Amino acid sequence: MNLAELIASARLIITAGSGGVGKTTTAAALGLAAAGLGRRVAVLTIDPAKRLAQALGLDALTGHMRRVDPVTLSGVALAGPGELWAQMLDIKVTADGMVDRFAPSPEVAQAILSNRAYAAFSTSLAGSQEYMAVEAVWRLISEGGFDLVVLDTPPAAHALDFLDAPARLLDALDSKGIQRLIYPGGQGMAAERPKPPRGRGLLLRSFNKLTGGAFISELSDFLSLFGCILNALQESSRGLQGLLRQPGVYFTLVTTPAQTQIAEALAFERELSRRGLPLWGFLCNRVHPPLPPEAAAWLEASPGRLDEAGRALTALLRFHQARAALDAQALARLSRAAVEARGLPLLSAETDELTRLAQLGALMTGRGGDT
Amino acid sequence: MESSAILPPRRFTLVTGKGGVGKSTVAALLALSAADQGQRVLVCELNTQPQIAPLFGVQPRGGERVDLPVGVSVINIEPRAAMEEYALMKLRFRALYRLVFDNPIIRSMVRFVPGMDDLLMLGKAFNHEREEINGAPRWDQIIIDAPATGHSLSFFRLPKIIHEIVPTGNLHAETALMWGLLTDPARCAIHLVAAPEALPVEETLELHRRLRDELGLPLGALFMNLVPPPLPALEGLDLCPALREIVALHAARAEAVTEARRRLSALGMPLLELPLLNAARLTVDDLQALRRGVSL
Repeated sequence: MNLAELIASARLIITAGSGGVGKTTTAAALGLAAAGLGRRVAVLTIDPAKRLAQALGLDALTGHMRRVDPVTLSGVALAGPGELWAQMLDIKVTADGMVDRFAPSPEVAQAILSNRAYAAFSTSLAGSQEYMAVEAVWRLISEGGFDLVVLDTPPAAHALDFLDAPARLLDALDSKGIQRLIYPGGQGMAAERPKPPRGRGLLLRSFNKLTGGAFISELSDFLSLFGCILNALQESSRGLQGLLRQPGVYFTLVTTPAQTQIAEALAFERELSRRGLPLWGFLCNRVHPPLPPEAAAWLEASPGRLDEAGRALTALLRFHQARAALDAQALARLSRAAVEARGLPLLSAETDELTRLAQLGALMTGRGGDT
Repeated sequence: MESSAILPPRRFTLVTGKGGVGKSTVAALLALSAADQGQRVLVCELNTQPQIAPLFGVQPRGGERVDLPVGVSVINIEPRAAMEEYALMKLRFRALYRLVFDNPIIRSMVRFVPGMDDLLMLGKAFNHEREEINGAPRWDQIIIDAPATGHSLSFFRLPKIIHEIVPTGNLHAETALMWGLLTDPARCAIHLVAAPEALPVEETLELHRRLRDELGLPLGALFMNLVPPPLPALEGLDLCPALREIVALHAARAEAVTEARRRLSALGMPLLELPLLNAARLTVDDLQALRRGVSL
């Protein structure tokens, strides 16, 4: 399946890759391209650069899905019936929304919202983004209404954190043991209450020695209060795990020609395949296009008797040629029969963001030249 | 070799910036420079694909410390190993450690807590700072290849947050010490790395603002990496459209460099520029050349 077919037919595209490769821009360009084909598209991004957020009209930090102004879009790409919606994931908004929806009573909701561990969890701790991204994308997809959802994965040191978050969560919840460990005589129905684990006293004393006495009970308060919310998150996680294996769902690995980023993309590919997750292929941003034939011919013919400007141009073209050769090698490392590997050219950084997205989108759907 | 005047020495330095801008390269340069001044240097990578040792032709195994021939030691800190080390230090008995961390409930709970991995890794780097041999510090300098921008704010903030959540005990005390180190301009400096393009520059400005104003952390130098060669004067050349297109692409980049230089120097940090090299992989010679270029 080539890129244009992917954009025309996929239900969920997940862009993943290491930081700084242009993941968010790529996700937005994919969305814009699909909307250009008349599809109703939602792009869910996490912490986009300010310029990109502004280009999509997301400067208000609402954390809700908003339609990108069709008037703005008609200027660049979108004249047809397609719609582009975008949402910037806001951890706190998503988490508070879950508390409101799933807490059994307003009192419980209030207790959660004022718990200190919750405050840290919902605003500042690395890792919370992954949990909340799972919830946000699951909601978006299960509520339906979009032909295509493009999910830009959180900028994690390890792109896989996003995939691991649900499993980590299920693990923590399925053990159901924390309450028993801490309050062995306490909560829960007696019939369901197994014996406390052996060596519990020593275990708790040892753990407390590591962390300080209040940590485990603080955490346990949080988990027990947050239990109803966690159950909902757990459902989202399971749902998403199943969804990721349905037809029409594809991972797209975004990279640049830089050696380290290619290596990370390849590592990510191995992880996806280990988990049996569907990979469409690689999108390699910022590829130096090969010199056009006229330029190459000029360089070939360039005689020794050049003036200063001529020599300067020669140096520039040689520099470009060397970079283009390196980039071509990098792309070749990604190319394999089984998956697609598509280069996207370096675009002038000075054009405005929306125009760049439209240019990229046009290249993706094959309506604007190729690399 | 005399010590660099641009970068006053701090024992604990962290390098951060947008992904892909070359944080590891900068960490390697700083390490080389310190090692050449006769310092015992430890570079900490945080549970990533090792970048530093391979620059020197060494493939490290797991989380083992590697002593490179250039006089620099590198360690890739893994959260699990960091946890074991910390727990053994506090509990003193492996059997107790087993009891706690082989317990599935504790294990999954610890894995579930967001930020726990980061705290463990930062804690291990912190322990290296306190490490001693015969009553003297084991390391003269510790350089941390810190997480990329998006993640680094929560990373730096972590000791403070945990300190507030956990009101007493070891974790409370340890995180206070960690935060004390991070905020001490006499012992710690955070170097920023940027690339001369609009988005990385904007992220750098934002990061600078938040690290300095929100968290009050001491900043070191600002590295502008991957700077393409300056655009030569091409006046008077009659170019065909194909050539014009290539030239325009590079002219736009040159403009972006000028703009980046203007915006980054406004931050008032020492600004060091590192050129973009036409090489798929940097060699030790490349690193030494980069170093000479910025007199590190």
